[in-house]
Amino acid sequence: MKIRAYIFVVVFLVLFVGPRTWADSTASREYQVKAAFLYNFIKFVDWPKEKVTDPNAPLTIGIIGKDPFEDAFEPLQEKAARDRKVVIQRFEGFVELEKSGKKKKDQPHPKSQDIQKCHLLFICPSESERIPDIIASVKGHSVLTVADTQGFLESGGIINFIMEEQKVRFEINVTNARRAKLQIRSQLLRLAKRVIDEKDAEGNKNK
Amino acid sequence: MSARNGLLRESVFAVMLLLVFGFSESRVVGAQQQDPNKHKDFFEMSIEELMDVPVVVSASRQAQKISELSVPVSVITAEDIHYSGLTSIPEILQFAPGMDVLQIDRNRYAVGVRGLHEVYSDRMLGLIDGRAADSINTGGPRFPQWPILLEDIERIEIVRGPGGAAWGANAFNGVVNIITKEPEDCLGWLTSTQFNQFGDSYSYIRWAEKMGKWSWRQSVGYQSQVSSDEAIDNDDFYSHDFSRNLRFDNKVVYRATEDTKVSFGLGYSYLESGDFEFGGRLLYKNNRINTMRFFTRVDHDFARETSGYLQFFSNLSTAKEPALLEYSENENDIEGQLNFVPAEGHLASVGGNFRLVHIDGERSSDPQTFVFHGSPVTENWAGLFAMDRWDITDRLTLEGQIRGDNYSETQLDWSARIAGLYALDDEKNHVLRLGGARAFRAPAITIRQGSAQRIPHPFVPGAYLLNLVPAPEDLHNEGMYSLEAGYTGRITKMLTIRADGYYQRFEHLIGFATLPDPLSIGRIFFTTANIDGADAWGSEVELAVEDRRGKLSVWYAYNDFQTDQEEQPLRAYLPATHKVGLTGRLYLNEGWTLNLNYRYTDVTSGEHANPLNPTNPGPSNTLDLTVAKRLFKGNGELLMGVANLLAEDNDAVSAVGSLTDHETPGRMFFARMQLKF
Repeated sequence: MKIRAYIFVVVFLVLFVGPRTWADSTASREYQVKAAFLYNFIKFVDWPKEKVTDPNAPLTIGIIGKDPFEDAFEPLQEKAARDRKVVIQRFEGFVELEKSGKKKKDQPHPKSQDIQKCHLLFICPSESERIPDIIASVKGHSVLTVADTQGFLESGGIINFIMEEQKVRFEINVTNARRAKLQIRSQLLRLAKRVIDEKDAEGNKNK
Repeated sequence: MSARNGLLRESVFAVMLLLVFGFSESRVVGAQQQDPNKHKDFFEMSIEELMDVPVVVSASRQAQKISELSVPVSVITAEDIHYSGLTSIPEILQFAPGMDVLQIDRNRYAVGVRGLHEVYSDRMLGLIDGRAADSINTGGPRFPQWPILLEDIERIEIVRGPGGAAWGANAFNGVVNIITKEPEDCLGWLTSTQFNQFGDSYSYIRWAEKMGKWSWRQSVGYQSQVSSDEAIDNDDFYSHDFSRNLRFDNKVVYRATEDTKVSFGLGYSYLESGDFEFGGRLLYKNNRINTMRFFTRVDHDFARETSGYLQFFSNLSTAKEPALLEYSENENDIEGQLNFVPAEGHLASVGGNFRLVHIDGERSSDPQTFVFHGSPVTENWAGLFAMDRWDITDRLTLEGQIRGDNYSETQLDWSARIAGLYALDDEKNHVLRLGGARAFRAPAITIRQGSAQRIPHPFVPGAYLLNLVPAPEDLHNEGMYSLEAGYTGRITKMLTIRADGYYQRFEHLIGFATLPDPLSIGRIFFTTANIDGADAWGSEVELAVEDRRGKLSVWYAYNDFQTDQEEQPLRAYLPATHKVGLTGRLYLNEGWTLNLNYRYTDVTSGEHANPLNPTNPGPSNTLDLTVAKRLFKGNGELLMGVANLLAEDNDAVSAVGSLTDHETPGRMFFARMQLKF
């Protein structure tokens, strides 16, 4: 009985009282992998010259909405892409701002200028209802828009994550990329699960 | 327990304590040192490599996924199984909310969802990858015979209550569905060997590979358990419950196109075990059971949100159980399902199956062998089902399922479910569920046509004291109606709560009814019959905290059951009224993992299970602890643990039909070494 009590105390102390040292990211594995995908997307997309004039300026990945990545981007502090540093900028979502009264529905985002400066903007699932508004707010600013929401490509987005057999895949709307003056390299297109290109559809129609 | 064994136990205790304190110290020292390379790995992968990384659905998605189900489901993950260190499915199931598990002997467990558990429990549906896995002749799962290696299990889904059309016919009081890993999710070699202080061993090797469009997984395992008598001192009864089990499991997947997947598999197990007392008869001979499972399946995505599958499977089992019966049974099933969107906001499925079953209860020269009247028999089963899930609004979803089955040996019957899910918030972090269901359970051949005679009459040659005779031809399916309500809430990013309540009304429950002795010479005659109904009600509440650092989940189950008649025979135990469970896991620095499983079970009433030898086991506390350390840069792992720490041995529990019972080993220290390459 004494030994049992002793073991209980030890286990309790170890589990609930002792100091903690945690090694792994708190983000889910899914979003750790997606974070790495976003980093890779930057390598395979070309922005117009006016967007990347300063060779020393970092490439910015914007996250708008309720952030599921948590600390998944921490390793990026020591990494670069296209010889540039990569920085993460987080923005409150349209839904959050409107709920808290900081913004009305027809008003622009208070940080819209900073959002427009992003090279890649990930639209979080919490913003799924406001995707058209967010895409409209970055129109004409060559922002690579990415999400993991059904129907994203049809709503004007450029790259959408999908899940297949518990693995991350993605689909690309080349037409929307073209409208944003973005050039997506063929290496990335080849790996996409689905590629939407209205130019191909028109070509087929005219045949 | 001998002095030598006691010294061994104490030594292992000491080692474990040292490990606990040892890595406590290393944790404190390492507190200031974060491993900067821990999650750099993904950023150094190419896109092609990232596309090969299997991901468990994120916590939020999983919470939403479970909250979107119209039935209460618990999931035991591969990690739960891995870190438990346990080597049998029933031992693993006992830590899930609402499960009732009693150990009868080292090979037999009474397992049930919300009670109604017994060794040959037919009130719970057992599936492997959605395919029927129950014993054909008794109608319940025989876990030791399943050709499943534990490290090949991706997850175990436990449905509490009637499963409805989604899980097939006979999803009566609950469903246990074992989902196995896809070959692509476990590529490479894995070897594992485990032993405990009694001399039990569990060794296993797996090879999974991918080549172009093909991938495959091959697993072989051997498990050996000594009898209870060898493990613990027992002066009252000589137990013969050893086992030796060879298992082989194989799965092959061919991705013909992006939209078409073909898979097939073959599993085989050979179980040799000691026999057990049944109806006063124990021969101390060995049982030999061969089980083979084969399947082939084609999955195809036709268009956006339209998919389907066609599947054939065949299960074959032959058994020589000298004290009980000898039989061969075979079922062949073909089934298909089509998923499609009939209109905006709807997701529908239709499907059906046809099954042919052949059972031969071979007669032997021993007049006390259990037989199936009319054997050999060929039976058939056909079912059709339809389901629809309608998203009426962003927050309100309605789901309906209906299924009809015709079993050649009983009657046409139906099962159905209707449920509404309402999200209290736009993000669906809080979801209410309200539903109703109807289910049935068709009695298997043992219940309908089984007969046996045991214990020779002391005064009348050729007569026997215990006589089981076949059931009347009008034996009806058991039926059940259920009302359910539930709530799933994601309180914070890490904290979720789930609460489910239910009321169930059972009809035509089958039990053993006594018959008059035609010759009035003191014999007991009994048969199976629809005795009466019952009411059940209760709730399960679970609180879970989980993130990448670990998990802690606590649950409480209240399961009450009241038969219409006071001493109504049920062929099963009632649920333990109060059950509590706790699982805790910590992932620490430098590859250490701590795991704890705890369970409290209230007294379990056996009065309705075995009137000849009723036992009321419990209350009991079960505590399992393991410590694991990753080795060789993550390619190896050493795990040490203790199962059932709080009990030196387990109380004797009688099985239905048995006149005797015996204690089984409790506290078990074990060690396991795994290597991957």
